[in-house]
Amino acid sequence: MDKEISCTQLVQEKLEALKQNTHNTVNALLDTMALDLAAKVDAKIANGESIGLLEGIPFGIKDVYMVQGTYTTASSDLLKNYKSAYTATAIQKLLDAGAIPLVKENCDSFGHGSSSENTIFGAVKNAINPELVGGGSSGGSAVNVAKGYTVFSIGGDTGGSIRQPAGYNGVYGLKPTYGRISRFGLMAYASSTDCVGPIATSIEDIRIVLNAMSGQDIKDQTSYASESISEERLSYSEDIKTVGYFKNFVESEAIDAEIKADFLSAIGTIKAKGIKVKALDFFESNTLVSTYYTLAMAETASNLSRLDGTNYGNRIEADDLKETYAVTRSENFSAETKRRIVGGNQVLSQGFADEIYLKGLNLRDQIMANFEEDFNEVDIIISPVTPSTPPKIGESLKDPLAMYLSDAYTVGFSLGELPTLTIPQGTATGLQITAAKNNDELVLKFANFLKDTI
Amino acid sequence: MSKIMTVDVLSSIKGAQPSETVNKLFDVIKNANTSNNNAFNNNHNNGVSLDNLRDDVVVDSSATEKQIIIENFPKEKNGYLVVSKVIEA
Repeated sequence: MDKEISCTQLVQEKLEALKQNTHNTVNALLDTMALDLAAKVDAKIANGESIGLLEGIPFGIKDVYMVQGTYTTASSDLLKNYKSAYTATAIQKLLDAGAIPLVKENCDSFGHGSSSENTIFGAVKNAINPELVGGGSSGGSAVNVAKGYTVFSIGGDTGGSIRQPAGYNGVYGLKPTYGRISRFGLMAYASSTDCVGPIATSIEDIRIVLNAMSGQDIKDQTSYASESISEERLSYSEDIKTVGYFKNFVESEAIDAEIKADFLSAIGTIKAKGIKVKALDFFESNTLVSTYYTLAMAETASNLSRLDGTNYGNRIEADDLKETYAVTRSENFSAETKRRIVGGNQVLSQGFADEIYLKGLNLRDQIMANFEEDFNEVDIIISPVTPSTPPKIGESLKDPLAMYLSDAYTVGFSLGELPTLTIPQGTATGLQITAAKNNDELVLKFANFLKDTI
Repeated sequence: MSKIMTVDVLSSIKGAQPSETVNKLFDVIKNANTSNNNAFNNNHNNGVSLDNLRDDVVVDSSATEKQIIIENFPKEKNGYLVVSKVIEA
């Protein structure tokens, strides 16, 4: 049923729902800013002015994005009182389009985790079953969208941090091609795979938000210019003739029997529609996970070295400068963040760099070359999002290796810089659709096709 | 003094030790087959072209930005950042 409400009423309803919610999705509400912006939209409507597609639409922001004057904590003790001095490019573009930010959302600290339990704001609870994790690291964002607290949310994806929580909570989540959206103002985790992306409940919303945020930005020199994706083009899927999937993903011992059966059944349905399906060879899950974590840890050790409490952050004074750095970092970083920083410094140090870090880079090159060959043979690759269903809250922290391995199906596409979308269909934690670099449009097209097919 | 810097010093994290879990990941890399071609290929084409470099000019921050940067100072005196003692006792 359609009902007419003002933008202010809509924003108030959403803010109230966020405030009341018990899923630990909120790090900070942006209520004053949101209500001010809503009043402006209402005034525009009252004056008979036309409004844009995103104007007045309430959205959420993972708490790793700078929004001038708001707290940006990365869910960490170190930055719990840190205020953004400027606004991230991607978020500024949404503000320019008239969208209204409601909330800074809970996540794993600095993106370090796959369950949104590594946070000072309490573990994020799954939208479908609150005893389970919300997924991570953009857990708060995915849960807010799934519960309807935000119309869409902006997550960050380095190794699966948008796609996995989207899968765990039954919503859409897109990691665009690396560089399509500027990273300026996103707190860096691993710069060579960090991506900004939307989480939403429809392909259409994903398309609109992706278009609004895309584009070259002088402040992120890895960003590139891209064309807008039109609504009309998404309904034309005849150019998708061959779909591939990785044999070893489904033959793996780690995959849950039901997820495997559902995935194979989805493949069967696609075949029945006259699309050719090809089984592809790929790297072992262990190799993918190890390559990703080696490079991500090296990059995060370097990126987080700036967090020493000198210019900002929760400085803890000690006898001298070096001691102040050490105490500040030891007391303020979580166990998981420390594990990753130490691992990163280990692989970057003399004697280990050749044997591990450079070898990791070499493996990444091989993975990318493998993808290039695959996309000469297939238009789309589909895969499960995760090998199993979401764990119970508390389980992941006890077994970090199991948590790392649970990223087996997402990290490869991050290393490949490929556009990959989670759709809430096919298996209990969804399906991933991947296309060649810069072909985000084809990903959305195939998602549109599958929406009515499986 | 030993010239070897341990991970706790490199990371500025007290008592830090390499993790067994993480070492398991590194072992996979050590034992993996890498391609014979050691020259990294051109897949990482993310560098900006010379034509697209931004102008080499100083852009002044806005007054709001400067104000927030000062608000974030862990320790401040008369609008200046107070840093820890640099010289070891």
